[in-house]
Amino acid sequence: MNLATQIRSGLQNQGLPSPSLSWIQSAMPTRNPLPPLPALTATVKTRFLATDLTHPGLLEAPGPTFPPNPANPEVKEIHLPQDVLVQVLDIDNLSKSKWEQVEELEAIARGEQTRGREIIRLPTGNEEDEGFGDAQSVAASERPTATTSSRGGGSAAAAHATSASKSSTHRLVLQDCTGQKIYGLELKRIERIGVGTLNIGEKLLLKRGATVARGTVLLEPTTCSILGGKVEAWNKAWMEGRLARLREAVGADNRN
Amino acid sequence: MSILKARRVASNTHIHTLALITSRLYIQTCRFKSTSKSTSKSASTMKVLCVAEKPSIAKAVAGHLSGGQVQAHNTPEKFIKNYVFDYDFGRPWGNCQVTMTSVLGHITSAVFPPQYKKWDYPPPEHLFDAPVQIITSEDKKKVAENIEKQARFANALCIWTDCDREGEHIGFEICEAAKKGNRTLDIKRARFSNIERAHILNASRNLISLDHKQVNAVASRIELDLRIGYAFTRFLTTNLRTLGGPFEKLILSYGSCQFPTLGFVVDRYFRVRNFKPEQFWSIKVMHKREGINVNFGWARNRLFDRASVVVLYERCLTAKKAKVTKVQEKPTKKLKPLPLTTVEMQKMATIFLRMTGQQAMEAAESLYNKGFISYPRTETDRFDSGMNLRALVQKQTTSQSWGDFAQNLVNGGFQQPREGRHDDKAHPPIHPITYVAPSALNENEKKVYEFVVRRFLACCSEDAKGVSTDVDILYGEESFHAHGVVVLERNYLEVYIYDKWTGTVQLPKFVVGEQFEPEEALMTEGKTSPPNYLTEADLIALMDANGIGTDATMAEHIQKIQERDYVRTVPRTARSDDDEEVVENAPATRGGRGGRGRGGRGGATRSTGRGGGVKEFIPTQLGVALIEGFDRMNFETSLGKPFLRKEMELKMKAICEGRSTKEIVLNESIEQYRHVYVQSQQKLAVLKAACREYVFQNSG
Repeated sequence: MNLATQIRSGLQNQGLPSPSLSWIQSAMPTRNPLPPLPALTATVKTRFLATDLTHPGLLEAPGPTFPPNPANPEVKEIHLPQDVLVQVLDIDNLSKSKWEQVEELEAIARGEQTRGREIIRLPTGNEEDEGFGDAQSVAASERPTATTSSRGGGSAAAAHATSASKSSTHRLVLQDCTGQKIYGLELKRIERIGVGTLNIGEKLLLKRGATVARGTVLLEPTTCSILGGKVEAWNKAWMEGRLARLREAVGADNRN
Repeated sequence: MSILKARRVASNTHIHTLALITSRLYIQTCRFKSTSKSTSKSASTMKVLCVAEKPSIAKAVAGHLSGGQVQAHNTPEKFIKNYVFDYDFGRPWGNCQVTMTSVLGHITSAVFPPQYKKWDYPPPEHLFDAPVQIITSEDKKKVAENIEKQARFANALCIWTDCDREGEHIGFEICEAAKKGNRTLDIKRARFSNIERAHILNASRNLISLDHKQVNAVASRIELDLRIGYAFTRFLTTNLRTLGGPFEKLILSYGSCQFPTLGFVVDRYFRVRNFKPEQFWSIKVMHKREGINVNFGWARNRLFDRASVVVLYERCLTAKKAKVTKVQEKPTKKLKPLPLTTVEMQKMATIFLRMTGQQAMEAAESLYNKGFISYPRTETDRFDSGMNLRALVQKQTTSQSWGDFAQNLVNGGFQQPREGRHDDKAHPPIHPITYVAPSALNENEKKVYEFVVRRFLACCSEDAKGVSTDVDILYGEESFHAHGVVVLERNYLEVYIYDKWTGTVQLPKFVVGEQFEPEEALMTEGKTSPPNYLTEADLIALMDANGIGTDATMAEHIQKIQERDYVRTVPRTARSDDDEEVVENAPATRGGRGGRGRGGRGGATRSTGRGGGVKEFIPTQLGVALIEGFDRMNFETSLGKPFLRKEMELKMKAICEGRSTKEIVLNESIEQYRHVYVQSQQKLAVLKAACREYVFQNSG
């Protein structure tokens, strides 16, 4: 128990909300002897960020949540009275038409992508530069560390992260630990938010004072911090179903 | 025995004396001719055979070298004349007796032996390793014989074919023909890129060797085209014949450039057809000041979600006042064009001259053959700093249309042209060599000549100059932007009538930090519209970017797929897309020449040149069926995609640069295409299904 408390305060020191002690206990590795505390804390943090927020007993009793009925469009503007931890359920780039995204995805599926007018062939598996694997797995890959590598060198990863330009505006579906859902709209550009770079199940901390306008949280770097993580199963399903969802949304029949 | 021997000796001496006499006679004539020269040459005056790629060049070069002292002899080939004259090549050949003649393009062709004549047997895949014979083409026999015969009298051979890969190979064919008559020829090549006198004389005194790497690259290309073209054409034709209907009598020609070209057209066709329009919303702000309506565009341009825009719009209105965050007035310019390459010329011709790329190339070719413009096949978009461009400008001062402009350049307005990044190391950018009156040219030549000259003068002129004003405002949390341009000096635009740059209204005064209540803030909506079908300019650009064909052959491939009835061109129908026009992305200006960067050069530069008379490429059902058929076979390298051909093109380049050899390239490429062939055979049913679906319109 003592150890769990230590881990919890370790997490708190990193600015994370507190998971319940019992959950920490359950998330600890069963290895014996246990690794040293910093490693242990890191492990628990990773598991925490990878867990569904609505998992009962994850957080300590009065978990930070939205005020009631947060998505009410009748309310012109309120500010969050406290920090709220949320997870990402969906992401949409509002600056691009759905059809444009469909065309991009289909090009990637064919193993092509265009750069200007040139059609580029993407490396398909067992190429010399390892780590890229085939197109699909890259598309669904881990978030590229730091900024996606610049276009030099024909890096497939760069070609893939459906690049969100500086002026893109994204809309997220966010969920708090009680299961309440709300839209989050990028009022000011936040670098990490992008299709393919922000994971489904990734955790965000909406800070006290963040604006909710007409039932939509307005996201700005000052009131929204991205904690990381993802729920693997959700993210995978989201990636795999993306093309079909986009096609359906624009009313194109799904062939394949 | 002995008598016989004695006789031979006797006759030998006889011949010897005869030879002495003729040479002496010859010395006399030489002396007579070159009385002004200080030393007379030794008895053995070199005889040089010069061969150009086409008669017009032979005639022009002979004219320049001989200075007019020339005798023209007819040959068995009625288009070709042999020009005989004396000329001093300088070291090492010195003063020579020259015969200048020409060929008519390639004189040999690659063919399969007669046992491969039949289409169904041996099976087409055997053509991947069947022997290939190089023979003198039936219609070029007289041409080749003339070379062979003339070579017998010559000591040296000088090649004057056009300086590009194809020309290099023709040069090699000439060598081979000449060697049949004389195996001991000293062989040189002249390097030139136009037929202006000084340039030709200079070339003749700086002879180089034939570049066998380029020859090998072309030889590889010829062999691959033959094998691949024949194998797939026979495969398609015989296999699809069984479908009956129109296929029964159709020859389905395959070419490794044509198919990817067709692929681009089909790809765009489906992009247009499958397109799904979507609604988007935006916010527009207008403010009136000093009697001017200033329109501010939204920094987000547009969003594809109404509710989100409503939220943002409401917050703008709530804020009431907008605050000026940035005011910037700075000089701006519209860059003059880059020196002219072949691809650019073809694109421009299809947009502005109402010609096909092919017609433009033909006209340019003819202008070059007559000596009016430089060689029209070039990738170079920078002039060598050593070229005397002012002198070329000077020649244009006599023109009624652009003479004054040229005169102004001569009088001090001249500016060195911009330098592009491409240099094929063989030819300068396309430019006028001399002035020619329009009345001496036919319609197409006239248009192309005018374009080449105007482009050249524009290059030697100055960028157009103006001043741009940018005003940024923050309205609530949203940013908006207004942009204004005033054109101050038109400069190159005066002569280059193909570019447009019209200023917008001058923006009234705004001060950073000031606040105002915008007169109007509207939430607008619009709908996305499908892309256009490809124009020839688009198609050329796509081929260029994807390495399909060379700049010189692109137009031919485009022509071919029309002749095969794989695609048709139709006039662009005026679509009512004005009302669906996408909200202009405020800060990013388009149209700035060579402007990949969006760095906001330029200003309001929307080209208005498009529209009327533009033709669009639409595939026929047959064209769609073929490309879809191959695409649906789903193998890595569909023949309808540019990758295989691009690779081949890169391999040709590798041969030219000494990084690969003909043997390696042939092996690799043949294996690749053989692989595709085998796969196509296995998935023939897919291709047939596509044909049934699109040509007979019954799916399944």
